[in-house]
Amino acid sequence: MIAYNTNWLDALLTKDSARKWHEKGLLSAEKWKAIEGHYPSNFYSPNLFVRIGLAIFTLILLMAAGGILVMILEPESDWAFSAFGIFCGIACIVFLDSRVIRNGRHRSSGIDDTLLYVGVWAILLGLCYSFDYSTPALAYYCIAWPFLVAGSIRYLDRLMGLAAYLCSLGIVLLVVKEIPGLALFLLPLAGMLVSAGAYLFSKSGQKRYAWRHWHGVLMVVELISILTFYASCNFWVVQQAALSIFGLETVPIAWFFWTCTFCVPFVYIYVGLRRKDRHLLDIGLACVAAAVFSFRYYYHVLPLTWAAVICGAVLFVTAYFSIRYLQHHEGAFTYEEDSETSMLQEIEQQLIEQTIANQPGPKPDPSQSFGGGQFGGGGAGANF
Amino acid sequence: MHKSILNNLLQQEIISREDAEKIEVFESKKPFSLHWELKSLLYLGVLLLNIGLGFLIYENIDTIGHVVIIVLIGAISTACFWYAVRHKKPFSKEEIKSPTPYYDYILLLGCLTFLVMEGYLQYQYEVFGTRYGLATFIPMLLFFALAYWLDNRGVLSLGITALATWLGITATPQDLLSNNDFSSSAIVHTGVFLGILLTVLPFLSERWGLKKHFSLTYLNFGVHILMISTLAGMMTLEQSLFYFPLLCVAVGFFLWYARTRGSLYFLTVAVLYGYIGLTYMLIIHTESLNFDFMFYLFYFVFSCIGVIVFLTNYKRFIKNNQQ
Repeated sequence: MIAYNTNWLDALLTKDSARKWHEKGLLSAEKWKAIEGHYPSNFYSPNLFVRIGLAIFTLILLMAAGGILVMILEPESDWAFSAFGIFCGIACIVFLDSRVIRNGRHRSSGIDDTLLYVGVWAILLGLCYSFDYSTPALAYYCIAWPFLVAGSIRYLDRLMGLAAYLCSLGIVLLVVKEIPGLALFLLPLAGMLVSAGAYLFSKSGQKRYAWRHWHGVLMVVELISILTFYASCNFWVVQQAALSIFGLETVPIAWFFWTCTFCVPFVYIYVGLRRKDRHLLDIGLACVAAAVFSFRYYYHVLPLTWAAVICGAVLFVTAYFSIRYLQHHEGAFTYEEDSETSMLQEIEQQLIEQTIANQPGPKPDPSQSFGGGQFGGGGAGANF
Repeated sequence: MHKSILNNLLQQEIISREDAEKIEVFESKKPFSLHWELKSLLYLGVLLLNIGLGFLIYENIDTIGHVVIIVLIGAISTACFWYAVRHKKPFSKEEIKSPTPYYDYILLLGCLTFLVMEGYLQYQYEVFGTRYGLATFIPMLLFFALAYWLDNRGVLSLGITALATWLGITATPQDLLSNNDFSSSAIVHTGVFLGILLTVLPFLSERWGLKKHFSLTYLNFGVHILMISTLAGMMTLEQSLFYFPLLCVAVGFFLWYARTRGSLYFLTVAVLYGYIGLTYMLIIHTESLNFDFMFYLFYFVFSCIGVIVFLTNYKRFIKNNQQ
C-alpha cells in the first residue's frame, strides 16, 4: 500500500526516537551505534535547500517535457487533450513509482514530491478538461477526492493529506448548502462536525502503531481541522459566508457565534496547556488574534494604532513575566528549549523572519548540512 | 508510540531493561516546553509596539506636543539600551550567549524605537536638514557598533540594511526586487559594490578572528544583492558581456564556498541564479538565429536533467571535513 520501503521508514522512526534519547543522555554511545547499525535506512532525502532546488528544476523539466509532447502529438479535440493529460499524469506516477522511488530510493527529495503533484494535477486536468462552465463545483471535488486520498495514503504526502481533507470538507459543505431553508444554520454546524470528526479521527489514528507511517499526514489533518473548527464558528467567517452565499446582511443567532468567536480560542489554550498538546495551544494563540480582528472588524472601540501599542505592550509584558516565572519555578512547564520542534513552529519561525523586515532569511547551519537531524540518508550518494 | 519502539528494541536485546525504564520515566515526566510560544509572543509584542508607536506619532503630530512624543519614545529607547548595557556580558571576539532570554528582543525594540525617534526628529525639526545621508549614516554606525559590542545578529542585519539605505538601495531580501528600480545603472553599480563588500567582509573578519559567526548574515545579504544586481545589469542595462562574466565569477565563488564549508543553502542559491543567467544568455543570443521553439524545450529538458544530476550528487561535490 505504501510506495516507500516500509522497513526503512520503520528504521527512521526508531532512529529518530533513539537519537533524542541518546542526546538526552539516556542511551550510551555504544547502544546508539548499535541501533544505528541494526536499523539501516537507505533513502535519498537531501537537505531542505537542495530539496527546494530539486523541486524547482523538476518542475521546469516536466513542463518542458510536456511541451515537447504537445508539439509532437498535437492533441486537437477536447477528447484528445483529456486523454493526453491522463496519459502524462499516469506516465509521471509510473515513473515516480518505478524509477524514482524503487530504483532511486528517493523519499522527500523534491523530485518525488513534484512528480506526485504534477502527476495528480495532470490526471485531474485531463478528467475535467471536457467539462463546460455549467458543471457544478461539486463534480470537480468528487472527481479529485479519490485521487487526493489515494495519493496521501500511498505516498504519505502531507500536502496531499491537507488537500484531501479540504476536499472532503468542501464536498460536505457544498451538499449542505443545497438543503432548502436550513442551509444557513446547517453550514456552520456541518463545518464544526466535520472538523471535530476529522480531529478525533486523526488523534486516534496517531495513537495506532499500525498507522505509524501516516503520522505526518494525520498530524496535518489534525492541525487543519482545529483551524477549520474555529473558522466554522467564527462570527466574521459566518457573516461573510451568509452575505456572499445567501445575500444576508445580518446573521441569525449572532450571540452564539460571538460567544464561540471568543470562547473557543481560550478553550483551545486551556485544553492545550492541560493536556500538553502543542497543536491546540499554538492554534489557540493564533485564534485569539483572529478573535480580536473579527471584533475590530465590526466595532471600532480603539483606534488601530492604540490597539497595536496596547496589544504589543500587553504581549511583551505577559511573555516577559511568564518567562521569568518559568525560570524560577520548576514544574510541568519549562522555558528550556525543546529539541523537537514541530512543523508548526518551523512555519511560525519562517513567518516571523519574513515579518520583521530586517531579519535575515533562513540560515543554514553548516554543521547540520550532512545527513544528520531528520535526514536519515546514510550512504545515499550515487543514485538517480 | 515510543512504547512500541522501546518494546522492539528490548526484544532485539539492543537496550537493557534499565535503559528502557529510564526512558519510560523520562517520557512520562518530561516537562512541556513553552519556549517557542513565549518567544513568538515577545517577537509579536516588539513588532506591534513598534508599528503602533510609529503610526501614533504621525497621527497625533498636531494634538499632543512634539516634545511629549519625543520624550516618550526616547525614554523607551533609552530604557531598552540601558537594560542592554546593564546586563551585557564582557566583550569577546567570539560568540556570546544572550545574558537573559528577553535580552535580544529588548535590544531590538531599543534599536527600532531609535529609528522611529530619529525619523520623527528629522520629519519635524529637520535636524539633519537636507543631508539625508547623515540621517541613515548615524543609525548605521550605531547598529554596527551595537551589533559588534553586544553581539547580536538581528541588530547586525539592521545595520546592513541601514548601510544599504545609506548607499541608496533597499536591501531586505523580500523587498529587494519590488522596491528597487534596477533599470538605473547607479542602482546596479551600487548593488554590485555592496554585494562584493558584504561578501568580502566576512573573510576579513574571519582572518582577524572577529565575530566569525556573523559571516552567514553578511553572506546571506551579499549573495542576493550581488546576484540580483549582476542579473539586472545583464537584463536591463543590456551589458551582458560585462555582467555575465561577473555573474559567473560570483556563482563560482559561492559554489566554492558551498564546497569548502559544506553549506547547501549557498549551493542551491548559486545554482539557481547561475541557471537564470545562463538561460537568459542563451535566449537573447540565439534570438537572431530563429531557432524552432522545440530547441528551447529540449534545452530546458537537458539542462534541467543536468542540474538535477548535479544536485542529487551534492554529497560528492561537497568536501566532507568529517571524513
